[in-house]
Parts: sequence; structure tokens; C-alpha cells
Amino acid sequence: MLAAASALLVSAVRAAPAPSARQTIAEAALAEDAAKKRELIGRLLGQGDPAIAPLLEAWRTDALFVLTAPDGTKIPVQLTGEKDAAGTQSALRVDTGAPLADAAGQPRRLAAADLAAVEHTSSLRRAMKAVLDLADLAAPDPAVRTKAILTIGLAQDAEKLPALVARLGVETDPGVKRALRESIAIARLKDADDAVKLTALVELKELTSLASTDFISRALKEAETAEKPVLVKAAKDALRAVEGHRSFVDFFGTLFRGVSLGSILLIAALGLAITFGLMRVINMAHGEMIAVGAYTTYLVQNIFGAGLTIPFFGFSLPIFGLNLTGAAYQWYFVAALPLSFLAAALVGIGLERSVIRFLYRRPLESLLATWGVSLVMQQGLRLMFGANNVQVSSPVYLSGNWTVNDIIFGWNRVFVVGFAILIVFGMWLVLSKTPLGLLIRASMQNRAMASCMGVRTERVNMLTFGLGSGLAGLAGAFLSQIGNVGPSLGQGYIIDSFMVVVVGGVGSIGGTIISAFGIGGIDQVLQQYLPTIAPGLTWVPGIGSFLQNLAQDAAVFGKILVLAGIILFLQWRPAGLFVTRSRNLED
Amino acid sequence: MNNKLVSLLSAGALALGASLGTARAAETVKVGVLHSLSGTMAISETSLRDILLFTFDEINAKGGVLGKKIEPVVVDGASNWPLFAEKAKQLLEQDKVAVTFGCWTSVSRKSVLPVFEKNNGLLFYPVQYEGEEESQNVAYTAEAVNQQATPAVDYYLAEGKKKFYLLGSDYVYPQTTNLVLLEYLLSKGVKLENIGGGFRKDGSGKIISAGKYTPFGHTDYQQIVAEIKQFAASGDACVISTLNGDTNVPFFKEYAASGLTAETCPVVSFSISEDEFRGLPAKQLVGQLGCWTYFQSIDTPANKKFVADFQAWLKKSNVPGLVKEGRVTCSPMVLSYVGVYLWKAAVEKAGSFDVDKVRAAYKSGISFDGPGGKVTTQKNMHVTKNVYIGETKADGQFKIVKSFNNVYGEPWLKGKFK
Repeated sequence: MLAAASALLVSAVRAAPAPSARQTIAEAALAEDAAKKRELIGRLLGQGDPAIAPLLEAWRTDALFVLTAPDGTKIPVQLTGEKDAAGTQSALRVDTGAPLADAAGQPRRLAAADLAAVEHTSSLRRAMKAVLDLADLAAPDPAVRTKAILTIGLAQDAEKLPALVARLGVETDPGVKRALRESIAIARLKDADDAVKLTALVELKELTSLASTDFISRALKEAETAEKPVLVKAAKDALRAVEGHRSFVDFFGTLFRGVSLGSILLIAALGLAITFGLMRVINMAHGEMIAVGAYTTYLVQNIFGAGLTIPFFGFSLPIFGLNLTGAAYQWYFVAALPLSFLAAALVGIGLERSVIRFLYRRPLESLLATWGVSLVMQQGLRLMFGANNVQVSSPVYLSGNWTVNDIIFGWNRVFVVGFAILIVFGMWLVLSKTPLGLLIRASMQNRAMASCMGVRTERVNMLTFGLGSGLAGLAGAFLSQIGNVGPSLGQGYIIDSFMVVVVGGVGSIGGTIISAFGIGGIDQVLQQYLPTIAPGLTWVPGIGSFLQNLAQDAAVFGKILVLAGIILFLQWRPAGLFVTRSRNLED
Repeated sequence: MNNKLVSLLSAGALALGASLGTARAAETVKVGVLHSLSGTMAISETSLRDILLFTFDEINAKGGVLGKKIEPVVVDGASNWPLFAEKAKQLLEQDKVAVTFGCWTSVSRKSVLPVFEKNNGLLFYPVQYEGEEESQNVAYTAEAVNQQATPAVDYYLAEGKKKFYLLGSDYVYPQTTNLVLLEYLLSKGVKLENIGGGFRKDGSGKIISAGKYTPFGHTDYQQIVAEIKQFAASGDACVISTLNGDTNVPFFKEYAASGLTAETCPVVSFSISEDEFRGLPAKQLVGQLGCWTYFQSIDTPANKKFVADFQAWLKKSNVPGLVKEGRVTCSPMVLSYVGVYLWKAAVEKAGSFDVDKVRAAYKSGISFDGPGGKVTTQKNMHVTKNVYIGETKADGQFKIVKSFNNVYGEPWLKGKFK
């Protein structure tokens, strides 16, 4: 009976030649026109054929090929299975799923290199995604579900609306549920029925969905032209609610960005707070200590990976790699942290022993000497690693983000903030709770007196300078995750570092911390709000429109304002935020 | 008469024997190479010097131009724009070169322009630029805005994009390009509120600059990426980036960290070619777009031969300071290569090295089948060529997703799209 029914079904299919999913995909693979391809893929929507997902996945990953037969006919094939020695794999016909047979009826094996992969553009991949999204609505991973739901919602596709509504009934994850409500409401804004539109607007107002702004504005315009006051009011209310939420997101986002920029400034300046703040050495080579840390991270990354060869002043210095992959490789960054501290500390100690110890009482000479050292080190890095920037990849645990209530917290940024807190705490421990810290403080306050009391100030100086340089190296390890690693990396941070230390008050670690977060926060606030307040600046006579245009380039103008503010601040308090009073007679 | 000829010949032979140097000089033609071999631009421009030297060797091996071997005179502009003008003067007045290949930045081109016009020299300029210029002394093999930026917009529009965010480094090329793009987008029916990045207006309210700009060496892209994220929240958005050099690294790192991808909001960059990927983490850019008139991945026998020949030349060449490992080919390099062959063809057509005659031959429309396909010179000193759009792959190469054939180079675009 069953067989009879299926036979009937087959004959019915034959009678009405509706192409199977496989045939549609094969046709799409051969279609010349991108729009035609998209349309064909679109037809697969909602078809429950289990062959669709693996075939589209193969297409997206370049495993779908077109075989041109000797007579000119083109056959789309999928290559699967293990490659043999000649690089060939078993070939399946896309349109039937059967193995591709040669004239003798034997299954043929083909090599990917001999065939042309079926092309795919990003819009085509989006069309495929839409097909897969419907399947993804039931995916076990909530993130995948959310993405699929939003894709459908933002396309305002009424056809797929029932699928979303059905999913809402069974969904349990609160985040996904919210995305479902959002998508359903956005899709319903296109509904012909005013009552449905109204409930959708009320829903969006309640959800304060940022993604819906454009859709609500469009609905508002339609309602205005159609003169439907109820809808206009609802749309305006919804827009106001969304805008309110946006300013909330902007505010806290700016706050976080300020803290993260502050942390970067702090990490970069902390080493200088010791070498310049405590030891009073104007160390122009501080930036190069940062670069040493960054390059150490690069080296460690390569040692964990495939290794590299450094042209070391005319000789080739091969460095062998451990060829780690996967999770083990990802830990390179953790190993790089102490190593970059050590490397920079050693370089710092070398610098102190060879140059700086002769110049403790001559600040101007130490400025010139360290500036010379910085040039030498930059050129050294250039000779060893080349003038090009080197690539430091971000480990996976630093390259995602948390999005809480639409505010993005990038993991690399969260990590920097957390680590800044850790270093500050660690430094406080070292300086105030260890014997070394006691010696450091004593020597820095009054070198001669400490020396008389039997402190080996020479040694303390060396270790202190090493500590400051090591902290700069740690900063380098972090900065490699955020920006470029190149020979002149340090140049970009040296001015910021001095700025932070001077504003905070030379010699005051607490001042450095407050000044770093203050400068970072003000910079981000100006960047965020200058363009919004800019239109209000036109009243300024003469330069009104100039100011307004300048404020549009908030990244630059904000920085100018910060620098101008710092100059004015230092006029008022030349010693910075916190003035340290020392017992040294020279001060 | 016969006697006279014999004596002439023997005198010639004598002269040849007496001074081999002069005789050799008569068989060569001096050609200037004016690029920055030191300073900030050296990273990019050294590659152009390398490809030019390779091209000269290739041509010399086949007998040179009009029977004369090319003798390159390489000078260093040192990323110093006034120095470019001085070096150009030296090439034209002291070395008396027949032609010069050089310049990368628009400012260096503007700096040498008066020198070339005063001395009636000829400069071949190979790097994408902002247009609004048409000197009789410059052969622009470079991409004009309509051979890079507007095809990219066409591609985006065909992909169904509705919102465009303009972002660039703060100098003449991005500013001018974005202004042209603004006009182009508006002419295509994109609404002003769907163009992101902000506008600057003059006193009368006319837009004088569009897009978001950051200085060279900018590292903090948090705010801008957050803005793009909100801009793209409603879908169908894309970014058009004219960010230059290494500012791309912090931008794309931030971009990836905020959860934006090529599928949610793609970025097309006009300043990142294969050569730039030697210093950029390509992994973070996978799927993002590039638009050039050449990609190394172009699958034609001509291109495969070109790439193989260049690699072979690198291996055996003994040019001091030449980087031999990990070299790639990219659009500015190929446009330099094509420029030399176009000049050779123009010289051969004119039968002379005289600049006026060469220019007349160049303007008459000469074709050359280069690695990126056929290029043809135009009356306005620009060239017609193919334009390709490619998606970045993890190995720093591009996968070509769209090509436009024989695009006419049009430098004057401001006010053209209404």
C-alpha cells in the first residue's frame, strides 16, 4: 500500500514537473545572472528537503563545482570524501545526488584543481542564509537562532512571519524571545491592517529596539501621508522611546569607551610614572620599551606557531616554532605577558647600567641621551623585523564581545580594563608592602640619605628602572591587540604617556591613574557629543560655521580640545593634580 | 663616394674602439624612476621601483625600445614632497630622461607637476587618485574615481544596499572621492539621511565635505565603530573606506570585535591591495571587499606568466636592498608595468623619443594586453581598463566577485551626477 502510494506520488511529481530542491540548486549553480541565481535560491525557502542545507553549505565553502563535459554541457557536481594521492575526490551530481558516472557507468573521481568552483557573492550568500535561517530557527545555539530571527525580521518578509510566530510559542531563551518579538513587530509594520501596525508600534516602543528606527520612521511617513493620526502618534511615541534608549546606550557606551581608553593610557603611562615620576629620569626611550614588549608578543606568537627567521644584523637567526594549533596556540598571549615584561625590563636595566646611571643629576642630558637611544632602538627593530608592520593576531578569547542591553563590551577592551586594575593593584602591593618597595621609596625620596643608611641605591635604581620598563613592555603586549606593531609603535604613545604623568602630578601614582581615566573619559565624551552640539555653535560670530564643521571631525577636534584644556590646566596647577612633597633638599 | 663611405665607416669603427662608453651610451635611452625609497611611503613605493626595474630588464632582454636599451635613473623622493620637485628637475634638466615613471601620493604629483610642465617632460602616474586633473605632461595609468569608487557603489547597489557610511583618512584623495561619491549616491536615488559619516557645510548650507575623517596614525576607532554599528542596525548598510595605511589595523580590529561582519555590513576599501596585506592581519578582513583594476588572483595565462616572471626576476636580481620573500603583485605595480609598455608602444608608433611626438601617439589610442586585461590609452591622457571587485581571503589575496570590462577613465566627475 505504502509502495503504491509512493509510486503514485512519484508519478504525480512527474506529471507536474515541479523541480526538486536539488534541481533548483543545480539550475542556480549554472545560471549566469546573479539576480536569477538569487531568485532560484529564494525558491528553496520553506522547503523541508534535507539536501538543501549541506548543498548550500558546500556552495558557500567552495566545494561545489561545474564540470564541463566534452560536448559542452555543464554539470554541477559536489566533491566529497577524502582526497587521494592525485587530489581527486568522489563526485556527486548536484541535481540527483547520485555519483557522477562515466560512459562505462563507473563512478568518476575528480580533482578540485581541475574544476571551476561555483561562484558566490555576498548577496547570494545572504539569500542562502535566508534559506538556512529558517532551518536555523530551531538551531541549538541561541546566538545562531537570534541571528536567523533578526535576518528574517529586518527583511520584513511577511511569508516567513508564521514561522517566527510559531517559534515564539516554543522559545524559552529570554534573549531569543526578545529578538523574536522584535522581528515579528518589525515585520508586522508592513501589514496592511492598521490595528496590527498599531500593536507592532506599541510592541517596538516597549522593546526600544534600535534596529527598528528606520522601519518606524518609514511607517511614520506612510502614516503621515495617509493621514492616520492614531498611527502617527504611536509611531512618534515609539521613535521617542527608541531615541531615549539610544541616548542611554550612547551614554553608557561612551562611559565604557572612556574607561577603556583611560586604561590604555594608564597602562602605557604607568611605567613612565615610575621612571619619570619617581626617578625623575626624562626617558624618551619609554615608547621603545613599549615596542619591545609588542615585538616580544609577536615573537612568542611565532614560536607558538610556525617559527620565523630574523635577519640579525647580516646573519639569519632562525627561531624554531612549536607548530601548535587550536587551543594550545591561543594561549600564546598568556605566555607573552610575563615574557614581554621580562624582555623590556632587561632592556631597561641594560639602558640604566649603560647610559642613565651617569646622568641622574643631569636631566637635560638624560633627555637627549635617551632620545638618541630611542632612535637607535627604532632602527634596530627595523633592521631585525623590517620596516613593515608585523601581524599579531588576536586570540579567540579576546576577539568577541558581550552585548548587554545594546551596549557593546569588546572582550579585548574588557580585558584591558581588568588588566589595568590588576597592574595598578600589583604595583601598589610591590611599592607599599614589600621590602623592595620600601627601599625604592626611600631611595627616590632622598638618594643620599638612603645611601647613608646602607641602602644599595645603585642596585635599587637599576631595579626600579627595570620595573618601570617592564611595565612599559606589558603595555606593549596589550597595545599589540588593539593597534599596529611596527618599529615606530612607541612614538605614538610617548606624548600621551608624558601628558598623563604630568597632568597627574609627577611622582604621584594615584594622580597618574586619575589623570589617565580623566583624559580618556573627556576624549570619548567630546567625540560622542561634539557632533550633536555642533549645530548649536553657529551663533558664534564669524567662525560659527567653521566651528560647526570642525566639530564634525570630532576625533581630531576632541583631541585638540583635550590638549588645549591640559595646557590651561597646567597654567593653573603647574605641578599637576597631586603635588608630591619630598624631603629632598634639591626640590 | 665609395671612398667617402669607407672612411666614414672606419672613422666610426675607430671611435667605437676608442671609446666604448660613448658608443654604449648612444644605444641606451635614459628613463627616470621617481619614487620614495625612504621615509613613510617607502613601504609602498619601493615595490613600484622593483616592478619598474623588472619591466626594464624584460624589455631590454627583448631588444629594448627602438633598438635602444633602457637605462634607468633611479632617484629617491624620500617621502618629502618638495624634494620630489627637485629630483624631477634633476631628472629632466641634468639627466635629460625621455620619460619618468613615478609618484604615489597626490601631493607628490602636484609638487612635480609644474616642473614637468615647464620642461615639457612626461610622467607616468600609476596610483588610484581623486581626478579633477588633466595635465598634458602626465599619463595617468592610475585608476580614476569612476574606475574604482563608483563601480564599487554600483556593486553595492546591485547587492541591495541602501545605507552607505563614508569613512576616510583626512587628506585630498578621500575628501575629493567622497564628495564625488556623495553626488553619485544622490543621483542613484540614495537619500541623504542614508549616507553616514556627517557633512560639513559652508555658510550658504552647501555641502563641502562628506564622511567621517581621521588623521594618519589614528588608533582609537571605538566611537566610530559604535556609530557604524548603530547605523547598520537596521540592515542593508555598508561602509566605503578610504582609510589609508596602517590605520586600517585598529579600525578592522575594532570592527571585528564589535560583532560587525562582511555579511552584516561589508566594508570596501580603496587603499588596501595585496601589497598592503604584507603588513595587515588579513584574517580580520576576510570577506571585506577591495576594488582595483588588477588582482593577483586574476586567472589568465598572461597574469600567471607575469607573476611567475616577476618572482623569477626577484630570485636572480641583485638590486641592493631588494626584499625577496613574500612578494606579491598588486594594482599600482601592474599599472606601473603597463605604463612602461604603453610608453614603449607610443615611442615605437611615433618612431621617436621626442615627448611631443610620443604624446601625440599616446593620445591616438594605443592598446596593450596587460596582466589585468586589455588597457587602451585615451585622448584625455587616462586609460580605459577593466575594473574588478574582490573579496578578501585569509591569505591576503582577493577572490574576484564582479568585473566591469573596458571602463573609460574620466577625471572630471565633480558636478557630473545630477
